[in-house]
Amino acid sequence: MKINVTINNEKKELEIAPDEVLLDVLRRYGYHSVRRGCDTGMCGICTILLDGRPVPSCSIFAARVDGHEITTVEGLPEAKDFAKLLAEEGADQCGFCSPGLIVNTVYLKKLKIKKMEEIQIKLIGNLCRCTGYVGQHRAIEKFLGVEK
Amino acid sequence: MIKNYFRPKTIDELSELKYKTNGYLFSGGTDLFVKLRAGIIDTDTVIDTKYLDTKGIEIKDKKLFIPINATYNELRYFIKENKLNNILEDIVKTIGSPMIRNRGTPVGNISNASPAGDFVLASYLFNAQILIEPSSKKIPIKDFIKSPGQINLEQNEFVYGIELELLTDYKFYFEKVGRRNAMIISIASIGILIKEEDNKINDIRIAFGSVAPTILRDENLEKTLIGKTIDEELFKYLANEYQKLSSPITDVRATKEYRKSLVHNLVIKAYNNLFEKVVR
Repeated sequence: MKINVTINNEKKELEIAPDEVLLDVLRRYGYHSVRRGCDTGMCGICTILLDGRPVPSCSIFAARVDGHEITTVEGLPEAKDFAKLLAEEGADQCGFCSPGLIVNTVYLKKLKIKKMEEIQIKLIGNLCRCTGYVGQHRAIEKFLGVEK
Repeated sequence: MIKNYFRPKTIDELSELKYKTNGYLFSGGTDLFVKLRAGIIDTDTVIDTKYLDTKGIEIKDKKLFIPINATYNELRYFIKENKLNNILEDIVKTIGSPMIRNRGTPVGNISNASPAGDFVLASYLFNAQILIEPSSKKIPIKDFIKSPGQINLEQNEFVYGIELELLTDYKFYFEKVGRRNAMIISIASIGILIKEEDNKINDIRIAFGSVAPTILRDENLEKTLIGKTIDEELFKYLANEYQKLSSPITDVRATKEYRKSLVHNLVIKAYNNLFEKVVR
């Protein structure tokens, strides 16, 4: 079956199978920033923006997004700035979880959230198994301009 | 292996598809995908409910109506906008993560009928009525859920929405015990609503999650409490009574003995928090 979607502001027609998961379709079409983590919606690694809101792409059938708008790290210009900060602060060790965190943090920037307490609650669904989060928090503080 | 994906637009269409294919309904998918991958659900047909024409969350006849497909985030937004049932907001904000709340739905939660379902607990507290289509019947939540994962539904029927009471002037307490702060499935949970008058109970509702095959709520016991003075003695009595009523199991999250202790301690903790006391 065919679906029409807008991915990173580009209109696309995708050929999909009825049982295909959005995560797999995005990877198949070359959006490799979207990664498979836990496959149960727990870890936040596969996070994308669906109609502007963060969702786990591992838990959505591709057929559902027909007519909708998707944004991945590839389509977020601010992602590079944040990625640079993550590197500077030593917040990337294996880096596998970074795309999900970047999508969600850029989303928080759009919401203009600047209180660290609130940011931590909003990012509760993004797991990192390497860093212990301290480096990430330093990078997030700089990127979002957290008020101290 | 899924071979068919349907997108019905009307109640009758959806009902007929469900009857003919015995397929699984897909609304948010946050639970469905976990079960598909774990092999708990094996189906060749998925019926996408999102194309069904529904009105959205609304207040109808002084009740809060949550239709199929409405997400937790939409519900949270509606509660905040309309300043109602604050405890509901307290419960909803502990469910999953922000990403999950953008997808997961209350109707899905009660249809899964897990004794650990946080929205199931909320439904018991707010005397939910479950609206079932295409028969258009309304069933109280306690008659709708039969046992873990088992619900009272014919093959052509599906849950169209949930109706919750709107309550004001109630003190409330909700706590979920789990292993971390996000994405937890409760080891045990408690929700209490109390309306007081001159330090006496005018109305009380107590519900526990994850400590029995379904949510534990005893309306007969609640009725005997009306008019009683709110004090340490009463809550110690309740802690013991509910401990006796609970029948938890041992699973990956905790043992039944630990859960039994939690039932007792959560009642005392609720009292301490609600009335600023320090009872051990």
